[in-house]
Amino acid sequence: MTDVRKLSDGIFEVTKGKKQLATKNLDLGKTVYGEKLIPVEGVEYRTWDPRRSKLGAMVLKKFNIPLKEDSKVLYLGAASGTTVSHVSDIVSEGAVYAVEFAPRSMRDFIGLASRRKNIFPLLADAGKPDSYAHIVEPVDLIFQDVAQPNQAEIAARNAARFLNEGGHLLLSIKARSIDTAANPKEVFTEEVKKLEQAFEPRFEILMARDLMPYHEDHLGVLAKLKE
Amino acid sequence: MKINTWFGVLEIGSKGEVLASDSFPKDIRELALRSLSLRDSRQNLPPEGFDLKAAAIECKFVDSLSEYYSLLHEVTLEAAKHQVSEALTPDQRIVQAVEALDDINETTNSLSERLFEWYGGYFPESGLNGEALALFIVKYGSRENVAPDDPLYLKARDSMGAKLEAADEVLLKGFAENVCSLYERRKQIEAYIESSMEILAPNLTITAGPMLGARLISIAGSLEKLAAFPSSTIQVIGASKALFKHLRERAPSPKHGIIYSHPLVNTSPWWVRGKVARALAAKLSLAARIDFYSGKIDPSLPEKLEEKIQKIRALNPRPPQKRPESGAKPKKKRRK
Repeated sequence: MTDVRKLSDGIFEVTKGKKQLATKNLDLGKTVYGEKLIPVEGVEYRTWDPRRSKLGAMVLKKFNIPLKEDSKVLYLGAASGTTVSHVSDIVSEGAVYAVEFAPRSMRDFIGLASRRKNIFPLLADAGKPDSYAHIVEPVDLIFQDVAQPNQAEIAARNAARFLNEGGHLLLSIKARSIDTAANPKEVFTEEVKKLEQAFEPRFEILMARDLMPYHEDHLGVLAKLKE
Repeated sequence: MKINTWFGVLEIGSKGEVLASDSFPKDIRELALRSLSLRDSRQNLPPEGFDLKAAAIECKFVDSLSEYYSLLHEVTLEAAKHQVSEALTPDQRIVQAVEALDDINETTNSLSERLFEWYGGYFPESGLNGEALALFIVKYGSRENVAPDDPLYLKARDSMGAKLEAADEVLLKGFAENVCSLYERRKQIEAYIESSMEILAPNLTITAGPMLGARLISIAGSLEKLAAFPSSTIQVIGASKALFKHLRERAPSPKHGIIYSHPLVNTSPWWVRGKVARALAAKLSLAARIDFYSGKIDPSLPEKLEEKIQKIRALNPRPPQKRPESGAKPKKKRRK
């Protein structure tokens, strides 16, 4: 017996033996990173491993994921596209502008991007939003998972240029990539403070929670532009 | 106000309305290349929050949103593919070669150890190992076939080793051939790295030697990154475990990383190695920068380095006296 429960738009909990996070597969019959496909009443669900995806972990940590079917997303730090594929499932009528800096990761990502019409791959430096300003439209959500020491600044720069009024920022902060030696808790406090005050535009933090036990020393942050 | 977009150049008014437009032809390849050139220009950027897709429809570049998105999908994909294919620069080839070399070293070591153990049962007195043993087995197979003019003839005749059956001999010979070809491949890769390093990073090559230079590039990720490293980082490249232990705990700081393999460092007496490593790292960082930014050879680099090292050695002829244990050690600041 397979049971499907909707958690939020496009995100489901599929129970088949055990509870699993899942999205509706947009690219029927294909898997991206060895996840499972579970067909339920004519709909193909694709399981989502929270240990391999910060966004997946945020869902399970009860973050309110501000995504709808037609949302436009700017995804910074696409890597090989594990998480991007699920975002692409969720915003089936929307658009995902996926920025990745490493040509090696982009090489793996291109295969995925070519099969999903709502993904727009951009090989660029997320710290220089001007370099893709001629392509990216205003978005409803900026998701950022870049593991850079200046990630607060990167978020602010991109939000200034691309974030809609009322849009949200979802951020995964990796303590080790900001200061390898410092205490993660202190790094988190520091980074949240930076988001609130250090750069223009300023953010209002709606929720901040660590991603244990799925990711160690990571903080998930949901924020919106400060009015 | 004039703005550049991926689909054309627009003249827009103060409220973002399109006044005039010059759209590009709808050719995917061409649009992708234009988009890449716009990436670096940073001129006439669209204003913050500008709705590109609405403008594209307004200026009749596309008829519908779905056409806009499907065209943009093709164009971004094409541009990304183009960038990925450009990314394999000469220094990336060297990085791959260095990593292949490390894999081959690891494999040859374990395979030739296996060969040594295996063949040892049949001819333990040979005294050969590594490549020499592999070549010996390929040449003769069983010790009964050793030619009378071979220096190992007598040992082979009187060996206490077991008799090598035909089936085992075929197996061992084949195995030895594989090991030999791995040694061959290693030489080939080394030669490749040496010749490419001379072209790509001549200064690094004359100061560090081709292999060390290539390893530095490999660990840094690219010549550009190596050129951007401070010399203190170059000094401890390859000693990250010790470095982070030092940063986190109370461990002493590492004096050298892989530059230890440089003859100037590993032939120096232990009490000046740290100083020598620091001087060497300084010159290596200069060399990497010259190589990346100008590419001209500066033959004075190794000379100056040699001079500096002589000075260091002359100033520190004897090992420092160990300080007598005088009660409490000075307290080190501990970082949290």
